[in-house]
Amino acid sequence: MATGFNIHRFANPGRFLRLAGALLPWLTGGAVILFAVGLYLALVGSPPDYQQGDTVRIMYIHVPSAWMAMMGYGLLGAAGASALIWRHPLADVASEAIAPVGAGFTFVALVTGSLWGKPTWGTYWVWDARLTSFLVLFFLYVGHIALTHAFDERQRGRRSAAIIAVVGLINLPIIKYSVDWWNTLHQSESILRMDGPSIDPSMLWPLFTMIVAFTLYFFAVVMTRMKAMLLEARHRAAAFAR
Amino acid sequence: MSAFLALLKRDLVLSYRQGIDAWVVVLFFLAAGILFPFAIGPEPNALMRVSTGVVLSMAALAALLSLDRLYQGDFEDGSLDLMVLGPLPLELTALAKALAHWLSTGLPLLIAAPLLALMLNAPSESYGPMLLALALATPALSLLGGLGAALTLGSRRGGILLTLLILPLYVPVLIFAAGLISRSLLLEDDPTGALLLLSGVDLGLLAITPWATAAALRQALR
Amino acid sequence: MSRKRLRLYLVLATLVVLGIAATLILRALNEELVFFLSPTQIAEKQPNAGQQIRLGGLVEAGSVKKSGETVAFSVTDLSNNVRVSYRGLLPDLFREGQGVVVQGAFDGAGQFVASEVLAKHDETYMPPEVAKALKESGRWQETEGKGTAQPAVTQ
Repeated sequence: MATGFNIHRFANPGRFLRLAGALLPWLTGGAVILFAVGLYLALVGSPPDYQQGDTVRIMYIHVPSAWMAMMGYGLLGAAGASALIWRHPLADVASEAIAPVGAGFTFVALVTGSLWGKPTWGTYWVWDARLTSFLVLFFLYVGHIALTHAFDERQRGRRSAAIIAVVGLINLPIIKYSVDWWNTLHQSESILRMDGPSIDPSMLWPLFTMIVAFTLYFFAVVMTRMKAMLLEARHRAAAFAR
Repeated sequence: MSAFLALLKRDLVLSYRQGIDAWVVVLFFLAAGILFPFAIGPEPNALMRVSTGVVLSMAALAALLSLDRLYQGDFEDGSLDLMVLGPLPLELTALAKALAHWLSTGLPLLIAAPLLALMLNAPSESYGPMLLALALATPALSLLGGLGAALTLGSRRGGILLTLLILPLYVPVLIFAAGLISRSLLLEDDPTGALLLLSGVDLGLLAITPWATAAALRQALR
Repeated sequence: MSRKRLRLYLVLATLVVLGIAATLILRALNEELVFFLSPTQIAEKQPNAGQQIRLGGLVEAGSVKKSGETVAFSVTDLSNNVRVSYRGLLPDLFREGQGVVVQGAFDGAGQFVASEVLAKHDETYMPPEVAKALKESGRWQETEGKGTAQPAVTQ
């Protein structure tokens, strides 16, 4: 298949296994350390908000989860596209590994958001554009997982799921910009904005620490899952050959 | 073009000869809709408030009914293999199928909608906006539904999976359709924005879904 | 028509349709799907009594009056305001000068009776949507506290 193209070098399962073996300890260790630091900063080392008091600490879980949910779906779409275009076996494995993790983070973001909404907004849930599009993201993940496992022939399920992953990518910009395009109850972007973050540095650094911790954790889990799936496939092939 | 029309005609004749699709869909639509007066209570004001919303959501559910048969028959008897080999690009086949689905479900629903609205005590000024919203929403439902049907073709528990997959994607269409109704009805407002949005969604789906559906069909036939 | 050529036309048609769709949606986004209406929009539209509306704006300073379980306050976008009365629990973040979204309807006497009051929170002190509404109504003012949260001041 397509050789000589840079990213394809990493698409080789054997090479990936070696890479994952080298990276995993660092990812896991980094995640553990940063979680410890980040949680201390978030729960103890950062000030309460001038409006919300201590309720604002939900942010340190909610925002990183939401980021992971969206990044996960972006990766899922990318993996789906490369599975469809280049038919990489590794892209299929990556999709299958990412989807439940991303769905989990989406669920956490929805639940923490809901718990945050009650004391601050006065309601657990409203049907504004941000919340609705995020709920659709959760259902896209669920649909992806269901499609992956819905067929007797594994490959067919994976490819169908890849198509829904790619089509669902449209939802990502809708989530991101929903708070700008429409009058929503959800507040606008505080971190990635043109005139710089609107969060005080004393709260921004704990948040960044948590985001990096979540990211390392995300990749650690996804890589572990991929590794397990590849080893399982290899084992099965070996048993079959005997 | 002639191949496109031939396929469309074949699908419509099939659905007409079997004689069930359109009727089953319309009867389901009405039967499910009249559950609401019993569940909510027949108080006219309460019914009035939910009437157009019930019509929209029941139409969305009814549009799901015949979807799992959209490609299933052709898949099982091998017609789909012939369609892939035929002169018509698979993208256009997908489009013809979605159009046939709309003509055999969306259109009957549109005709039955005023009846259900009448039974639900919908305010008289809401009929126009409701029909406009339905006319713009149902093609989107058929296009998305066609994609779902192709994706779940040949799966275990196809029907349930199809519903799980497609209903969340119906949500934005329903929101925009409901927005069109409330904008043009309640505030005596200019509904152009809502109209543009819903038409934009329609056209966007018209551009995207045939490609995705064709890709899904190719996966099913590999 | 050859198959290759047909596919080319298909791609072109898709791009044209996508372009039109994007144009329509972007034009529509300028005016559509509001979660709430500002007092100025309400003054323009004159909604009927009894019709459910979501009203968004700032709680006018000095306008909150509590009597028993009933709270009365004004929602303002600094050029128009609407009197609101509400029976029930207010969210923690409800305070004067803060953004709120209120669900309810006008009664016969022109009083807005709320069934639900939601607080809109924003560390930039003023919700951008309200700020936008303020800008549109021509009464934009820079408020203090923009951009930074003052630490260690609890409620």
